Amino acid sequence: MSKSPQAAEAPIAEEETPSSLDESAVERISQGAPSWLSERRRHAWSVFEDTPLPSTRSEEWRYTDVSRVVDFADLRLAIDGAQSENGSRPAGLAAAMEEDLAASGHAVLVDGSVVHVDLDPALEKQGVILTSLRSAVNEHGGLLEELLATKTLPPEDGKFQALNAALWTDGVLLYVPRDVKLDLPVRVTRWLSHAGSAVFARTLIVAEPGSQVSYVEELLSEDFDQRTFVSTAVEVIAREGAQIQYASIQRLGRGVFCQAAQRTLAHRDSKLDSLNVSLGASVTRLDLNARLLGAGAHSELLGLYFGDQDQHFDHNTSQDHLAPDTGSNLLYKGALDDRAQAAFRGIIRVHSDAQRTDAYQTNRNLLLSDECRANSLPNLEIEADDVKCSHGATVGQLDPEALFYLLSRGLSREQAERLVVLGFLGDVMSRLPLGGVVEKVTHAIERKLEHV
Amino acid sequence: MPQNELVEGLGLDEYQYGFSDDEAHVYRTKPGLSEEVVRQISKHKEEPEWMLEFRLKALKIYESKPMPTWGGDLSHLEATLDEIYFYVKPQDQMERSWDDVPDNIKNTFERLGIPEAEQKLLAGVGAQYESEMVYHSLKEEWASQGVIFDSIEDGLKNHPDLFREHFATVIPAADNKFAALNSAVWSGGSFVYIPKGVELKTPLQAYFRVNQERMGQFERTLIIMDEGAQAHYIEGCTAPVYSTDSFHSGVIEIILKKDSRFRYTTIQNWSNNMYNLVTQRAVVNENATMEWLDGNLGSKLTMKYPSCYLVGEGAHGDIMSIAYASDGQHQDTGGKVVHVAPNTTSSITSKSVSKGHGRSSYRGLCKVYDGAHNARSNVECDALLINSTSRTDTYPYIEIEGKQATVGHEATVSKIGDTQLFYLMSRGLTKEEAMALIVRGFIEPIAKELPLEYAVELNRLIELEMEGSVG
Repeated sequence: MSKSPQAAEAPIAEEETPSSLDESAVERISQGAPSWLSERRRHAWSVFEDTPLPSTRSEEWRYTDVSRVVDFADLRLAIDGAQSENGSRPAGLAAAMEEDLAASGHAVLVDGSVVHVDLDPALEKQGVILTSLRSAVNEHGGLLEELLATKTLPPEDGKFQALNAALWTDGVLLYVPRDVKLDLPVRVTRWLSHAGSAVFARTLIVAEPGSQVSYVEELLSEDFDQRTFVSTAVEVIAREGAQIQYASIQRLGRGVFCQAAQRTLAHRDSKLDSLNVSLGASVTRLDLNARLLGAGAHSELLGLYFGDQDQHFDHNTSQDHLAPDTGSNLLYKGALDDRAQAAFRGIIRVHSDAQRTDAYQTNRNLLLSDECRANSLPNLEIEADDVKCSHGATVGQLDPEALFYLLSRGLSREQAERLVVLGFLGDVMSRLPLGGVVEKVTHAIERKLEHV
Repeated sequence: MPQNELVEGLGLDEYQYGFSDDEAHVYRTKPGLSEEVVRQISKHKEEPEWMLEFRLKALKIYESKPMPTWGGDLSHLEATLDEIYFYVKPQDQMERSWDDVPDNIKNTFERLGIPEAEQKLLAGVGAQYESEMVYHSLKEEWASQGVIFDSIEDGLKNHPDLFREHFATVIPAADNKFAALNSAVWSGGSFVYIPKGVELKTPLQAYFRVNQERMGQFERTLIIMDEGAQAHYIEGCTAPVYSTDSFHSGVIEIILKKDSRFRYTTIQNWSNNMYNLVTQRAVVNENATMEWLDGNLGSKLTMKYPSCYLVGEGAHGDIMSIAYASDGQHQDTGGKVVHVAPNTTSSITSKSVSKGHGRSSYRGLCKVYDGAHNARSNVECDALLINSTSRTDTYPYIEIEGKQATVGHEATVSKIGDTQLFYLMSRGLTKEEAMALIVRGFIEPIAKELPLEYAVELNRLIELEMEGSVG
């Protein structure tokens, strides 16, 4: 893959030493930026400063004591990835990219900066845009000014959302014009190389009416012995009748706190599905809000997590039904081993106008050790009466009958347990069949199971 | 006609216990809460020094704890608490004979049907009017076997050691803000002891009535089930309808020793101006079974989550809950089960009906500690919405340590189906009969657990609610 000209032309920060997360960093990043953007960043910074760090006293952070996970004073903004890119890619990154052959386009980010972009020229001709946010600031300023880090995922959403909106260094813009359909997914690989750094990236996906696109992102790194912070903000907009599949596979190394905020807006008759696979990092926090804004809109929210050692996962989801005749269906499944912990907090809100809503929510946990821990809070808030809503949560152990059957067929106990775990987690992926994703995730789980 | 219009005017305006008596009391404290008020209560009850110290310490805890920000809307409560009477003594002494109860109080309870019920089907009756138990009786058959059923004050006086050994061990003053408040100003409630192996064949009943306007009732009940004992306790609550808010905050502590079995039934039908914030908890030892049957029909806001702490191997906890929220009502109810010991089992079944602008919320906890091998718990919540303005919420907390537990939670929300209505009406029922039948069928799994008289009462209430729901 060749280096994209866009990335090469991207403005390079003057200072080469990494900077602290403070107001001067906001000013430095804002240099040369259009005024709407610098103002937006400054505003976000002031929101960040005015917002207290979430505490476990708040319902949404009940199970993750973030004060023990991140110390903003210790972190340094990641060095510009475009500079460290010198042709030779880390083995982990290269291996992951090798798997991503069939695609409409690729983007590669190193330490929060886009170092490579390619897109099928035929799609480019039809007006599809796949580019770094940094270059989009100049080339598609109007679109970004309207949609980036403002109404969809505003800084007022929370401390981390504000920090990202103030300090994001780069990210991906994917824009699909009216009625254009992409047969193959857009594949994005994000690599993190610096221990002790803080990386802030954003993704903006816009699908115009009648268009169709799928987006698969993978986050990777080595293990670190220093606390490292990855912050991601994702804004996904499906206009009337558009179809979007968004998938994120997180395989970061230990030592990383992976924090992601995602909001999906599904307009009239659109279909907007998401899959979040959490396998890596020491601490993972996901805030996903799916909004059903127009009649006929539907969203599937799929999630899968598998924790071992001291891994900690906290998935916080919400399904907001704001228009009549909308549907959503959530399935988050996880397996936990060793001392791993998982919290799931999900809420379905059916607003009073959203009559004839169909909304479902299921969280299932498989516990494999005596020391692991699962917390599940599936919530419902229903203000309309003509609805079909249900939720379920289970926490249990390996099904002894399934194990017995496999043992009776001659499998070893280990093999049998692995198969049952794979089967338990696998049905999530079967609900969002995306080329290559099932294999990739299955492979990653298998590798993890080998260490169990 | 659209269903919304059909069920218009279904409010609880026909609250049948809304009458009031003239205020008559022998003593009451000044409105509001202070150390002086606490000292006065303790003095009037001629309490031992340790209880006064306990109360004063609890008052400090209450003052230091913030108002909860979850659950119902408590924003007007602080102002209400400044104005209410924390202690109202209705008469000089508690009566053992119904004939000696003052006429005005007697009339009240007779209108509520208490003496009849006692004659027919109860092992014992306690009646609390304002802050004190005004009447307590236990059938001789049970008293002779060593059963104690007394006012909490007499429990402290007559059984000081048994009382002190167990009091505040299940719910310490610092448990939550309202438990602290109750610990500081508690008055009235029952003290129950069922000796080893005694099986009470008929229920004990306590009846709570608030008559005074702007009154706070803080009953405290302590129940000790000795090994192998069995009993059923029923409490009922009503109050007149006043324009200002009243406040009820009880603390119910239950200790179940090995192999005992206990059921606690509440039919809460407070008037719609009552804040009802109650802490109820049972500690369940080896192979004992605790059952909470919790019916919340009245009050402005109820926040109540009966709990079972399963601390002995093989202990079982059952929580069945019905909530009915109409205009101006918020029922924030549910249950908690905490599994500490191996082979413990529990189930929570919750049914709620929201009507008009009513809101019912299920809030529950299922916690399994890592020592609780082979713990099993199942939670089911169903909500029925009658109007487009009705609201329902479900907030379950599931916290599991270790692989040995099996826990399931399920909730559904539905409205009365058009096909259900159509079918019943095609069989000749009016729409209102059909709706009442569907609601009754919805709560039936829990209603059938009630003693017959209560089940009949509940059914009548629902019929009453559904009356006028058509045109």
